[in-house]
Amino acid sequence: MNSQTKSQFIAVASITSELSAVMVVAKEISLAAANAKAIAFRAGDKAKGFQPITDFINELAKETIELVTNINVYALLLYRLTVNEYRRTEAYNRFEKVGKLAAGAAYADSMKEPIATARTMMQDCQRQFKRDVTQLLGQLEAVMHHARAARVIAANSRIEASQAGEYLQSLQAVAESVDKAAHTIHDNVQRCRIALSIYRNS
Amino acid sequence: MKMTKIYEGTHQWVMFGRDENKPDNIVDSNQYIIRTPNKCLLLQPGGTELFAPMMAAVLHHAPVDQITDLFASHQDPDVISSLGLWDQALSNAKLHAPALWEGYIRHFGCESIEYVPIPDNGETIKIESVELQLIPAHYLHSPCGFHVYDPVAKILMCGSVGSAFEAPNAPVFVERFDVHVEKMRYYHQRMMPSNQAKRAWIDKVRNLDIDILAPQHGRIFKGDDVKRFLDWFDSLQVGTGI
Repeated sequence: MNSQTKSQFIAVASITSELSAVMVVAKEISLAAANAKAIAFRAGDKAKGFQPITDFINELAKETIELVTNINVYALLLYRLTVNEYRRTEAYNRFEKVGKLAAGAAYADSMKEPIATARTMMQDCQRQFKRDVTQLLGQLEAVMHHARAARVIAANSRIEASQAGEYLQSLQAVAESVDKAAHTIHDNVQRCRIALSIYRNS
Repeated sequence: MKMTKIYEGTHQWVMFGRDENKPDNIVDSNQYIIRTPNKCLLLQPGGTELFAPMMAAVLHHAPVDQITDLFASHQDPDVISSLGLWDQALSNAKLHAPALWEGYIRHFGCESIEYVPIPDNGETIKIESVELQLIPAHYLHSPCGFHVYDPVAKILMCGSVGSAFEAPNAPVFVERFDVHVEKMRYYHQRMMPSNQAKRAWIDKVRNLDIDILAPQHGRIFKGDDVKRFLDWFDSLQVGTGI
């Protein structure tokens, strides 16, 4: 296996690993939203501005979980495609070798068709891989968008929390946890994007 | 890859092996083909590393589209790990291999080749007009294995039985049986797990009319050396690895 193929396997496998961490964090946001809603309810009028924000946080967490679930399915397909591409490339290289070793054999020409077919299938796989990577990068961008939105919500939450009197600390803690989670999601997804970007369609 | 015709009649048997470019750290193995006018059966296609030299060698005897059948005696990688490559090269082929190993052998890649499972009690297959008996050889050494008997050519391709490991330039046929015995002893004692299975196989094989015993590794036995081998194997205690 050459170093480019190895890097491709590692890049695809790392997506699943990074995204499982994103999933954990998204679930934490969902939990933080439920917690914030309970606090805001207890705070009544003092946290009136905070109540709709909790719904936003919860919705954002749910959407992120849904997106990541879909991306994971896609990443698995991409992994299978990587295996397939490896097999096709391996076959093509060995068929080429057969062609050279069989020079002078009575039926050497009969290898031309399998070589041509193997080349086409290998190239198809390479093109498909680039297309799928480009699509996956688009999906990852959507998760990044959610992470950025979560950070804006966290900033708004801090402002609303400052007017919540004795509930200030609890609500600020919620805002902090949302902000931290958004950071983590952003960083993990960014790592996926960097790993994959060299394989995208130019 | 060395090619040796071991039978020429209404059909041909050719043995391939002693690949001088083989990496040192993988075992040498014998591959065989049975060539009929329009078809070619490949016995023990070999490991991935041997695919290119093996296929190139076969092209001296048959075009790709006439390689219609493959046979694997058992599931070991030196027998059939090249399957994924044959699978992409052959557009209309069948693999005859033990039913018990189907789910395992498919790990090597088997999408376009049709897997024809051999039942535990063996069967007869036909390649054009050539009838071949697939004889059970369970626990020799694999828990499920088969040997190929050709009653016209009087050849028994006996898989792991009779195997020995030698230098790449070793002759194809056994020349001095008494010397060759020492090259086989440890392999048979260590790799064959059951005296009972060994005895059952010998009883079966003694009833066959055999001119040539063609193992998967090492030299081929012919003439009187066939009986010498059966007598020697009969008296050997196997399963000594415990």
